[in-house]
Amino acid sequence: MTFQLSILLIPYLLFLLLWLIFSIVAIYHMMKFGFKNFTAFFTTFIFIGISILILAASYNFINQIDWQIQITVFENMFNRKLPF
Amino acid sequence: MPSPYRLPNQIKGEKIIRILRRDLFVLFKKIIFFCILLLLPLLFFWIMLEMYPNLLQGQISCPIVILLGSAYYLFIWLFFFFSFIDYYLDVWLITDERIIDVQQRGFFSRIIAEQRLYRIQDVVSEAHGFFPTILKYGEVHIQTAGAKQRFLFHQIPNPDKVRNIIIRLAEKSKARHIAHNA
Repeated sequence: MTFQLSILLIPYLLFLLLWLIFSIVAIYHMMKFGFKNFTAFFTTFIFIGISILILAASYNFINQIDWQIQITVFENMFNRKLPF
Repeated sequence: MPSPYRLPNQIKGEKIIRILRRDLFVLFKKIIFFCILLLLPLLFFWIMLEMYPNLLQGQISCPIVILLGSAYYLFIWLFFFFSFIDYYLDVWLITDERIIDVQQRGFFSRIIAEQRLYRIQDVVSEAHGFFPTILKYGEVHIQTAGAKQRFLFHQIPNPDKVRNIIIRLAEKSKARHIAHNA
């Protein structure tokens, strides 16, 4: 079976979408019920900041991979070494 | 200094005496758990690298490791923030007129209960276990004559002191209530 490596990005992007929705809900709760004080703002700021860092690091790694290459798996699999 | 807390149905001249959350040790336990979750994949990754040294050179394995790693860390970071929100938004307020119990249950459920101090019948504080005893945190049960018979202040710091404050305020409130109705 041959497929383009970028197929792997589809479930990842779906996860990111779900993650984004839950993050917005969390931030909304913090802003609405967090009494609008320094702690609420500070923790929300830290959450957003570290999330951006994780996303930036992920983008940096993901960007180094050639997602256009074709991958063949389960072909003659019992007679050859696995690719990893 | 004005309080950042907006009391629900604030009574004229009502003052906040105490704002209580669960003890900081409860938050500390969450942070420790988060740190373990943070380190767990690194340990797993290290073991995998020992077993398969070419793991990061594989055409499929390398992208999978990167995508899974990214998803995992985004997920646990959000999970930790959720956990903090659960800690932070559970608040008990003691005013000179009422006790107010604000509970965040998940994301779409928020419960606010209040009881007038003059309706308080009994206040019990307790601390069970090693850490609660050493670090002085525990529960305060408040028996009232209201519809919600029992208020629970969960894992709060200095439960004995809080019990004394509530008893003192309840006595004052009862005296005011009797004088007002006389």
